[in-house]
Amino acid sequence: MYIGSKSVSVNLVLFKIVCCGFFPLQVLNEKKLQEVDSLWKEFETPEKGKETAFLVFLFYTASTALVEGKLSKNLKKILKKIVAKDAHEQLAVADAKLGGVIKEKLNLSCIHSPMVTELMRGIRSQIEGLITGLPSREMAAMCLGLAHSLSRYKLKFSPDKVDTMIIQAISLLDDLDKELNNYIMRCREWYGWHFPELGKIITDNLMYCKCVRKVGDRSNFASSDVSDILPEELEEDVKAAAEISMGTEVSEEDINNIIHLCDQVIEISEYRTQLYDYLKNRMMAIAPNLTVMVGELVGARLIAHAGSLLNLAKHPASTVQLLGAEKALFRALKTKRDTPKFGLIYHASLVGQSNTKNKGKISRMLAAKTALTIRYDALGENTSAEMGAENRLKVETRLRLLEERGIRRISGTGKALAKTDKYQNKSEVKVYDPSGDSTLPVVSKKRKIQEVDEQDTEVAVKAKKFKAEMKGWLLYLCCCHVIVCIVSVPQLVLLCLT
Amino acid sequence: PRGGGGARGGGGARGGGGARGGPRGRGRGRGGGARGGARAGFKGGKKVTVEPHRHEGNWDGLGYTGRDWDGLGGDWDGLGGTGGCPLPGVFICRGREDALVTRNLVPGESVYGEKRISVEDGDTSVEYRAWNPFRSKLAAAILGGIDQIHIRPGAKVLYLGAASGTTVSHVSDIVGQDGVVYAVEFSHRSGRDLLNVAKKRTNVVPVIEDARHPHKYRMLIGMVDVIFADVAQPDQTRIVALNAHHFLRCGGHFLISIKANCIDSTAPAEAVFAGEVKKMTAERMKPQEQLTLEPYERDHAVVVGVYRYWVVLGCTGPPPKEK
Repeated sequence: MYIGSKSVSVNLVLFKIVCCGFFPLQVLNEKKLQEVDSLWKEFETPEKGKETAFLVFLFYTASTALVEGKLSKNLKKILKKIVAKDAHEQLAVADAKLGGVIKEKLNLSCIHSPMVTELMRGIRSQIEGLITGLPSREMAAMCLGLAHSLSRYKLKFSPDKVDTMIIQAISLLDDLDKELNNYIMRCREWYGWHFPELGKIITDNLMYCKCVRKVGDRSNFASSDVSDILPEELEEDVKAAAEISMGTEVSEEDINNIIHLCDQVIEISEYRTQLYDYLKNRMMAIAPNLTVMVGELVGARLIAHAGSLLNLAKHPASTVQLLGAEKALFRALKTKRDTPKFGLIYHASLVGQSNTKNKGKISRMLAAKTALTIRYDALGENTSAEMGAENRLKVETRLRLLEERGIRRISGTGKALAKTDKYQNKSEVKVYDPSGDSTLPVVSKKRKIQEVDEQDTEVAVKAKKFKAEMKGWLLYLCCCHVIVCIVSVPQLVLLCLT
Repeated sequence: PRGGGGARGGGGARGGGGARGGPRGRGRGRGGGARGGARAGFKGGKKVTVEPHRHEGNWDGLGYTGRDWDGLGGDWDGLGGTGGCPLPGVFICRGREDALVTRNLVPGESVYGEKRISVEDGDTSVEYRAWNPFRSKLAAAILGGIDQIHIRPGAKVLYLGAASGTTVSHVSDIVGQDGVVYAVEFSHRSGRDLLNVAKKRTNVVPVIEDARHPHKYRMLIGMVDVIFADVAQPDQTRIVALNAHHFLRCGGHFLISIKANCIDSTAPAEAVFAGEVKKMTAERMKPQEQLTLEPYERDHAVVVGVYRYWVVLGCTGPPPKEK
């Protein structure tokens, strides 16, 4: 795993290892070169190989030029030296194109034949023995490094397109937020022991810390000037509260420690803003279209959630819509309920500015266009942001249309206002179903569609019959009642009369 | 500036993302017909044992092994060939379902979403990665019963047609830290994935070049012991021969995976394979075994052979041509 290309001169063998340089080797025994097929024998063992060729000197060169068969500057210099020394030599090259170039520029005759290939094989197999002073591990490492750098050069790898930076930066941002929150809470609690009213007056955390740092002990509040940190009203309130505070006294050392903590908080806050700027720049460099569509933070979170920009590009639009809501999604799928409508995309500005009713629709539209921009960013060749801008415009137009749909009627003259439906409370109130109380077999209320008509008619007939019956009974009863009444009334009358 | 979690669809936890990645990986495998292979059976916590791959020596498949071409008793590698040929570096995992596995060079990492199996070995645990024969021609050949793949721990392998590095990672597992795998792949998309695989595994040397021009990457590769070619090109025998002349040592072996459709889609598969074998013998490459990848691929064959075999015999040159 060493090797460069080899130029072999009949007397002088120039063996190039591009990872370390050129190695010219001298062929000691010319006669053996005539027999092509048996050449492999000469290189069977390192000792034999040494007899046939030995090292002259070694130096460095550029490998990319070699790949394309061009002459690099160093190679030219070395070959010139050789030409100066042994001008009548013939140089054998492994690459015919390179041979042609050498011949043109340096007038050194080159040969390229099966003999040369055989010689190369031999040298290649015994390279370790031939080149003294280079341990094979180092050669292996150099070769690996060379392979990686050549491959990166081929793939046009650019370090500012690495999305690992984004993922690390957004994770660090989250971590910083948590830590900052912890420290600030601790600072408030600690200083609140000494001056509790300050915590209630100053709500902004950074202002609080700066204030505490500047003033220290609350007795200094009256004398110190905090107008550059606090606005005027607050300053007055603070000064007033400092006079009548009910906190305890604390010593110099304690105040010093609190001030150290405040220093830390302020430093971390500044770093956080710096990190956010860095993240914004990186996002614009790596995925400009995605940034235009959903914003830097949401874009960075999407990339971090998927693992890499390429992974994110492989997800369909519906997945992009629901990234971040996996727990809710699978819970809903398992219990056969409605699935969530948005995940991380909820925090995009376009979704935020729509009504609650339209959020679902907008999130779906946004996810569809965002998926396209992600694929364009991950796999496309240019780095312009036009595609993102166009897509965003489309989504914004649709958003506007959706919102206007609620205000204006679509059909008809278009000027009439759409009638809104009367408000109906669609609250789901679950009522206890008492049919479960009885263990007696109950005829199922669910009927198949074919039977429904028959059943209906049957039921109708039955109902009619029943009604008729009932009517009959009622009539009878009425009659009875009437007769009774009729009978009773005269009796009563008779009774009264008598 | 995170908003309240209220309407985030129930405040989805990020941890759930893992569950979404896994099924999709398996779903890809399910795409091409009845793919069960190594993935179907392994539930966590079941007892599995891993043993070295070993199969019976006498086999009646197609090919040249077992027939004594040169009167040497069929023992090409001096390993005592008839009684069960182990493939060093390859293991079989027996549990509820059996799987072909290789020992993971980078424990804890899965290259293309394949299943990893951890086995307790005293107080250390060894990790193995499952090898899918539907995705890898080499695994299909091993499971088909190939006699020798010649890729063993410490070997130097030239892999032509490395694609995204899925089979390359298994070859790298087999050769171990002492061996080297030179992975040649021309496509840039796959090359990027190959580069990522090579970043994790230091015994893989990535080469993003056309395999048709071995002189373009001659400075990166030393002499190799085995060439594995999975290039799927109509002139693939010529490509392998060119690379062999440059890099394969005398007596070294080659494995070529031939796709009949790719060489000639009108001719029947057997005729295509026979044609390729003839081309190989013309280039001082002697084929020794031929095996079809039948249950895993259609109209595919793998040919194993030796390069400049007369070196092994101790002769001074190729045998005289018979009249």
